[in-house]
Amino acid sequence: MKIRIILLAALFTGLVCAQENTVYRDMDLPVEKYTPHVTGDKTLSATYPFWKDRNKLDWRLAGNPEENWKLNWKFMDPPFNNTVHGGHFALDRGEDLYKSLNRDGRFAACLGANRGRLKGLRTQYPMYRKDLGRVASLEAVIEHCASAQGEVLQHGSYDNSAVSLYVASFSQGMPMRVDVSKGPMREAYERGRQLFHTKAGRLNFACSSCHTRNVGQQLRGSYITTPYGDVAHYPVYRTQYRLQSLHLRLIECNLDAGVQPLMPGSQAYTDLEVFLSALSNGYPVSVPAERD
Amino acid sequence: MRATGLGAWALCLAMPGLAAGLPADAALDPAAAIKTLSPRVVVNSGRLEWEPHKRDLSAWPTLSHLDRRASIRPQQGAYSEPLNGDALRGRAIAMDPARGNCIACHILPGEDWPGSVGHLLSGYKRRGHADAYVYQQIFDRRVLNPKTVMPPFGAFGVLSDQDIRDLVAYVQSLD
Repeated sequence: MKIRIILLAALFTGLVCAQENTVYRDMDLPVEKYTPHVTGDKTLSATYPFWKDRNKLDWRLAGNPEENWKLNWKFMDPPFNNTVHGGHFALDRGEDLYKSLNRDGRFAACLGANRGRLKGLRTQYPMYRKDLGRVASLEAVIEHCASAQGEVLQHGSYDNSAVSLYVASFSQGMPMRVDVSKGPMREAYERGRQLFHTKAGRLNFACSSCHTRNVGQQLRGSYITTPYGDVAHYPVYRTQYRLQSLHLRLIECNLDAGVQPLMPGSQAYTDLEVFLSALSNGYPVSVPAERD
Repeated sequence: MRATGLGAWALCLAMPGLAAGLPADAALDPAAAIKTLSPRVVVNSGRLEWEPHKRDLSAWPTLSHLDRRASIRPQQGAYSEPLNGDALRGRAIAMDPARGNCIACHILPGEDWPGSVGHLLSGYKRRGHADAYVYQQIFDRRVLNPKTVMPPFGAFGVLSDQDIRDLVAYVQSLD
């Protein structure tokens, strides 16, 4: 009897808290369906044919400031962009750090490498990690695995992103293949899709307010690009941030849109990363890339 | 039973983050004058540094799943005649990135680097909209169009009543 009362009380507490949990959030409606594959852009911005093959970008579009947005900035990825930039230095730094962390092969195994091989690993992140009990991005796992060896590589730090870049370089040219068809990854994708349409901050913008509803329009002279095929070049070398992980990019998006940012590795950013990575499925990894 | 319910309710309120509203995973310094933090990447370091952002953004809802604060619902502005707006001051607000920043989305006659997301505002005066209508557009356009992407400048406290009156005077003067 006593147990039953406690159970009942616990249930009731849960119900009341659940009621508290349904908070009114303004949404950019309707929440679009999206396709967890880069070809989904064909029905959104329809610029996909211009950037689907980085080896065949039209240099006439790249040279025209009114038109270059149609290339989805891929002219700043290799091979079109063959300049040496900060991303290359970061790659070197990442190699040094990785090799010192992986002397006994423990680090690679912790990252999820198959028999120590990094090939293709980047294309599967974010992934559900049973050992962590949650979906995690590559940078979060790098932080976790370094910390297991007593090293501090905070998510978003230069050194963390440098290691991530080095790991990504082994997947050069390999298409992203983040599986969001089932389980926790599907749930994360779904939350990410909802978050993409959730309005926030002092200006009440959702990501989708611009990047779904107004692709190809201008904001203060800059063209708005598609959310498809946009994460296969991260971490990226940015002139103002030096080296930028995707979660730092989301912080920058938030600050620019007047939204209080979250910590790198937060569940909301990880959900958004799962969503955006799925929208890059089928698009090849290309690092180190640059962006303005 | 009722007492249990009240207790549960009190427990929910007492849980950290629920009452204060600020989510635990927000990038902020709760003790600072400007709470909002911006990351700074330090080359060859495993630590991310943080510095105060130029504006405190912590008062409005974030994207955090832990954020228990509701969005502000669509709101009717309390407009009263006369307009009493200053078009010149309105133009300055429209061009200021920290205030109205209308130019980011709208084409305004004679101004460089506009946006094209919002409606063309050239020739606005010839459309013959009532001042009260234009005031509501800026105060909170969601009342007029639930699908709008335009920020609710008045309802969200971004612009003051006088700022909006000045903007109304400005756009109503555009040839």
